[in-house]
Amino acid sequence: MSAATTETVAPRESPSGSPLHRFVWHCRHNPKRELWFAWWAMVTFYNLFVVSFFVLARAQPPPSPAVDAQGAAQWFTDNHYGVLVGMGIIFLVIGLLIAPTNALIAYSMRRMSVSRSFAYSYLAMYALSAIPGMLLLCIVLTVGAMRPDRDPELIYWLYDLAFLSFTGTMGVFLIGSLVWMVAILLDKNRVFPKWFAYLNLANALTEVVVAPAWIFKNHVFGWNGLIAWWIDMVVFGIYTGVFIMLLRKMIEREDFGTGPLPGPLPGPLQELAPSKEHDPSELTRTAP
Amino acid sequence: MTNIAGAGSAPDEVDGRSVATDTKDGDKPAKFVPGQPDMWAFVLFETLLFTSYWVVYLIFRTQNHELFLQSQADLDLRIGVFNTIVLLSSSWSVARCVQASREGRFRAALTNAFLTIFFGFVFLVSKMFEWIKEIQMGNTFTTNEFFQHYYFLTSIHFLHVLIGFVVMGVVVYQLWSPARRSQQLVETGATYWHTVDFLWVPIFALLYVVR
Amino acid sequence: MSATFNKRLLVVWLVLSSMTLGYVLIDRSVDEGGTLRASAVVTVSTIVIALIKVRIIFREFMETRHAPVLLRRLTDGWVLLMALCLLGSYFVGMAVR
Repeated sequence: MSAATTETVAPRESPSGSPLHRFVWHCRHNPKRELWFAWWAMVTFYNLFVVSFFVLARAQPPPSPAVDAQGAAQWFTDNHYGVLVGMGIIFLVIGLLIAPTNALIAYSMRRMSVSRSFAYSYLAMYALSAIPGMLLLCIVLTVGAMRPDRDPELIYWLYDLAFLSFTGTMGVFLIGSLVWMVAILLDKNRVFPKWFAYLNLANALTEVVVAPAWIFKNHVFGWNGLIAWWIDMVVFGIYTGVFIMLLRKMIEREDFGTGPLPGPLPGPLQELAPSKEHDPSELTRTAP
Repeated sequence: MTNIAGAGSAPDEVDGRSVATDTKDGDKPAKFVPGQPDMWAFVLFETLLFTSYWVVYLIFRTQNHELFLQSQADLDLRIGVFNTIVLLSSSWSVARCVQASREGRFRAALTNAFLTIFFGFVFLVSKMFEWIKEIQMGNTFTTNEFFQHYYFLTSIHFLHVLIGFVVMGVVVYQLWSPARRSQQLVETGATYWHTVDFLWVPIFALLYVVR
Repeated sequence: MSATFNKRLLVVWLVLSSMTLGYVLIDRSVDEGGTLRASAVVTVSTIVIALIKVRIIFREFMETRHAPVLLRRLTDGWVLLMALCLLGSYFVGMAVR
C-alpha cells in the first residue's frame, strides 16, 4: 500500500501549478490537513520555545541557584527586555500551538490498537503539567521584569519560584512519557517502532534525576546542574527531534483506518525488526 | 547485508531458526540478534547516558580528590563485591533461562527466570541495607559531593533494577502459558536484565575501587 | 548441546566473579591499613578491568558472539568509547586541577 494515496476518501490528484495554488488546494481538500496543521504547529512551537527561552529571555540554560538576592536582581536587569519580549511571544502563541501539539501526540495513541484512555490520560497530563512546568516560569519572570526597582528580596523569591517550578515539576511530564511508552509497547497497529517506546523510557528516567534540584543550590544537582539540567536537556532535545520526525512519518502513512498502519516502520531498525510485532502465535512451541 | 537480512528473518521462523537445534558453541550457529533490535538501541543509549554520568563523576573526583578519597573510606568494599557477584549470578541465570526457553524446556526456563528475580531481590535488599548503614554513619545525599554521586548513581541504578522486575514479570508471563510464548520477548527481557548487570560493573568500580 | 552452553556460562560467571574479587586484592595492595591512598595505577587498571568485564558480558551473556557483525562492532565500539570517556575524563581532570 502506498503511503501517499488517500484511499479512504475520494481520490483526487493534487494539482500542479503555483505553490500558492497547491497550498490552497491542500487546505481545502487534503483529508490530512488538520494533522499537518498540528504537525506544523508543533514544529513552530518548539522553534519559538528555543528562541524565546534560550535566545531572548535566556531563561535556559537557567542561571545559577547559588546567587544571592543582588545576583538575582542583576539577572532580571540583564535580561529585562529579553524576558518581556520572549515571554510575551509565548503567551501570544501558546494556545494556538500547544493544543495541536498535544492533540497530535494523543491522536497517535488514538490510532493505536490500545484503549483510548491512553490518549486521554496523556492529554490531561500534559495540559496540566504545562502550567507549573512552563507557564508559571513565564508568568513569574514577566512579573519580576515588570518593575525593575522592586525590593531585591522579592525578586529573589520570584527567581526561585520561576526556576524551581520549571525544573522541579518534571514528575508530571515523565509520567506522560511513560503513558506513551506503554501505549506503543502494547500497540498492534505499528504506529511507532518499539525503540521509540524505549526512548520514552530513557527520557522519563533522565527526568527523574531532575528531582534533586529541589535540594541543591550548586554542583551537579542544582536546577542548572550538569546532571539535573544539561544531560537531561540533551536527552530531551534528541527525544523531541525524534518524535517530531516519527509523527511526520505517521501522518504520511496514515490511512484513517483502524488496522495496522501501512508502509514500512520508520527508523533504521526496520530491516532488523520482524514484520509482525508480538504475535504470540508465530513463535509458540508446543508445550512439553 | 546478508547477515542482517538473515537475522531479520530468523526470529520469524520457528523451525528455520537453527539455534534451537544447533547450540554447540564451537560450531557456527546462525547469526541472530538476541531479542528485539529495538531493545539493543535502548541498551546502547542508556549506556551512553550512564557514561556521561560517570564522566561527570570522574571529573569532579579529580577536582576534589582528597574529599572523595576520604569519603570513599566509609564505603564497605565487601558489600560492593557481594552486590556485584549477586548481579553477575542473576545474569547467569537469565542467560540460562533464555537457553532453556530456546530448547523448549519451559519448566527450566521459568525456574531460571524466578532465580533471576530472586537474585535481583537479594541485590535490592543488600543495597537498602547498605544505604541504611551509610545513613547511620552520617553520610546522606547532602553530606558532600562524593555522597551526592554515590547516592545518585546507586539510586538511578536501583530504579533500573526495579524496572527490571517489571521486565522479568513480562518474561515470566510469556513463559508461563504455551499460548503466549514469544521467544523474542523473552530474549528482549533478558537483554534488558543483562544491561542492569553490566551498568552496575562500572558503578561499583568507580565508586568503591578507584583511588 | 545445552550442557556445553551451560558449562560455558558457568565458566564465564567464575571468570567475572574472580575479576570482581581481584578488586579487593588491588585495593589492599595500595591502601595502608584503613587509610585509602590515591593511585593512578589502581584507577586505570580498575576502569580497564571493569570494561573487560562489560565486554565479556556483552559477548557471552548477551550473546553478541553470535550476533551479526554490525551488532558486534557496535558493542565493541561502545566499550572502546566508554574507555575513552572514562580514562579521558580521569586524565584530563587530573591534568587541569
